[in-house]
Amino acid sequence: MNLFLSVEVLSESTLRDVVDLMVRLVEAAGALIIFLGAVWAFGRFLLVGVRGGGVGREFNKIRLSLGRFLALGLEFQLAGDVLRTAIAPSFTEIGQLAAIAAIRTALNYFLSREIAEERAEIERERHKEADDIRPRAESA
Amino acid sequence: MTAALHLAALATTAFGLVASAVVLVAARRPRAALAVLLDFLTAAGLLRLTGEPSWDAVAAAAAVIAVRKLVTAGLRLSR
Repeated sequence: MNLFLSVEVLSESTLRDVVDLMVRLVEAAGALIIFLGAVWAFGRFLLVGVRGGGVGREFNKIRLSLGRFLALGLEFQLAGDVLRTAIAPSFTEIGQLAAIAAIRTALNYFLSREIAEERAEIERERHKEADDIRPRAESA
Repeated sequence: MTAALHLAALATTAFGLVASAVVLVAARRPRAALAVLLDFLTAAGLLRLTGEPSWDAVAAAAAVIAVRKLVTAGLRLSR
């Protein structure tokens, strides 16, 4: 009786459909975040480029934000991969999933390292500027 | 959804080309411009990986990311 109920309540095809829908939603959210990040960064690059003045640091800041968008989108896509493992039926699909998940995980790792390095560089520049200003203020 | 993703990836590549040209003109730093272009190309590669990509698409995305890492590491070393 129990077995019959469990089959009726959640059949394999229903589970497959539900997980498939969730995977699509989560992956679409990830793709949307990546695309919005690219559009935002593009707009900022144009704006800063046209305005001019201290562009080097501004460009670094925009790249840092774009990197954050990419990392966030990747997290969503990795979540989709994890969900997909629940229903992967064949070895070919599992292999493909493993390859994509490996690429995304590696990229996420490198991106977070790059973000940390960029942030450290911006901090260094800020400290350098503060050190340059301080002696001038003291001598005046 | 696949067509929309391809379009988004194409648009991202175009954004990268224009943005790197802007960085090159405004900051006159070719390395920074290249780094910006590579960031946008990575975003385009990630968009192409969404959905159910073929082995070819996976291999192409991996190659783009590997080249990107290589160039970024090279740029950092030559700084």
